[in-house]
Amino acid sequence: MFDSIIDPTVGAPGNDRGRTALAGRPAQLNGLRLGLLVNTKRNAADFLEEVAAALESEYGVTTVLTRTKPSIVHPAPPEMLEEFRGETDVVVVGVGDCGSCSASAVADGLQLEAAGIPAAVICSDAFRVSADAMANLQGTPGYEYVTTAHPVASLSREGVRERAVAALPEIVGMLTRPAAAVAS
Amino acid sequence: MTALEDPVRTAREAIRYCYEQGWTDGLPVVPATREDLDAFLATTDRDPDEVIGAQEHLNRRVTVRQAAVNAIMAGCEPEYFPVVLAAWDALNGEPATNGGAWQSTSGPAPLLVANGPMRQRLGINCAGGVFGPGFRANATIARAIGLIVRNGYGIKPQQLEQATQGVPGRWQLLVGENEELSPWEPLSVVGGLELGVDAVSAMLIRCCEYVDNRHTESAEAVLQDLADSLARIGAYLGIRHSSGGLVLGPEHAHVLADAGYSRADVQQWLFEHATHSHEELAAAGKVGPGGPAEGDAAFPMMPSAAEIPVLVAGAANAAISMVFRPFGWASWSGRSVPVRWSADARPTTVQEVSP
Repeated sequence: MFDSIIDPTVGAPGNDRGRTALAGRPAQLNGLRLGLLVNTKRNAADFLEEVAAALESEYGVTTVLTRTKPSIVHPAPPEMLEEFRGETDVVVVGVGDCGSCSASAVADGLQLEAAGIPAAVICSDAFRVSADAMANLQGTPGYEYVTTAHPVASLSREGVRERAVAALPEIVGMLTRPAAAVAS
Repeated sequence: MTALEDPVRTAREAIRYCYEQGWTDGLPVVPATREDLDAFLATTDRDPDEVIGAQEHLNRRVTVRQAAVNAIMAGCEPEYFPVVLAAWDALNGEPATNGGAWQSTSGPAPLLVANGPMRQRLGINCAGGVFGPGFRANATIARAIGLIVRNGYGIKPQQLEQATQGVPGRWQLLVGENEELSPWEPLSVVGGLELGVDAVSAMLIRCCEYVDNRHTESAEAVLQDLADSLARIGAYLGIRHSSGGLVLGPEHAHVLADAGYSRADVQQWLFEHATHSHEELAAAGKVGPGGPAEGDAAFPMMPSAAEIPVLVAGAANAAISMVFRPFGWASWSGRSVPVRWSADARPTTVQEVSP
């Protein structure tokens, strides 16, 4: 009956985004080169540093590259992605703890996967909805990421360390278990 | 009578249909038809397929045509549409808009400022009750922006938009500057345009707070009162300064101008006096990188004098002004955008400044 009403959601066509095939996972992390992709959110760098320290001491990785995104909203630029592709074996991304950066962190995870690099994305649990919405938009519904409790920004360094340690098993699982399971 | 026989019932069903599609901001919309769309597109020379905004990370691109559909739905008249386009362009020209604003926990609201003779032609209120509601052009042009964000970008509350509380007045703030009662040049002239050019300037803001000061003739007393609100610690984000701006009521503007203050003098005075000590910020847990050194007694809460936008709007019936707070660490870019109608559509009839 209302076919003559124009749909306001139709704009210029977007890019066709098929499901991102996730990168193959290593059997174990020992001896691998770790990259850290930091957004500018407060405590994000500290969180990833703590994750890296634990992965180094407990799993034998070497942190070889840390990059901070120029924009908290947008996915990492191509040249940064290229650096990760050239220098790292696995990457940890985070911390998605705001309206746009949680979604953006998921987009980063997916573009790393598309570049053949296994990634573990960390978001806070308050922003699951926008992180999942981004996975859907990127054509990869069900993409999994590690969650830590919100808030992150107000934690002391000690609090950040506890969170990082608590998240570690899940991060390791995400970087090493078969790709199919990561995007269940 | 069936819906088909009763046009009022049909209209209601059409509005309900739009609700069911998830196309509204909570208020009823005007369903857009081909005929309406043609009338709106005729008001501009721009290509209907021109992409006027994109959120690449969301894979969404907004066209002129789509903006027109949403302007119809917001309740605009066709001749408002070039103002909607200028407002949209002005917003997109603000660095703050491109920093995740539409998805932010801050939930910022566009503050759109109209200058030029279109205020009278289109009935854009710049006098009493300027923050609304009650004036169709003000209400619907501002609302159109919100519908474009919602329907064009697909950014909806509690989904991709993650506003913690949001901001009162979001998608409702188009104010005309009261050029006739302002002692200074129009904001659009500060924004780089010729006097008399129809223009929109845009900012994203997080709040408006009144300053009621009716009992002094001292310009400095009024400035001190304004500085106190500008310096409010709750708005200080740490790391760097947040900014602040003023919508001065005509009476306050004249108190200041009569005492010899230019707009730049006002900005400078406020920059120098909107301060807090290290101790005061520390008591609120707001010291850290970029903040005051220990013992600093007068740390400026504004980033610079130039980053305190000042405009004049409202009625000359009480000494009341509004302090507003730009989103994030940004302020106004200082660029106003001219409004351009197609040759056929440039409105000539004067409309009453009433609802």
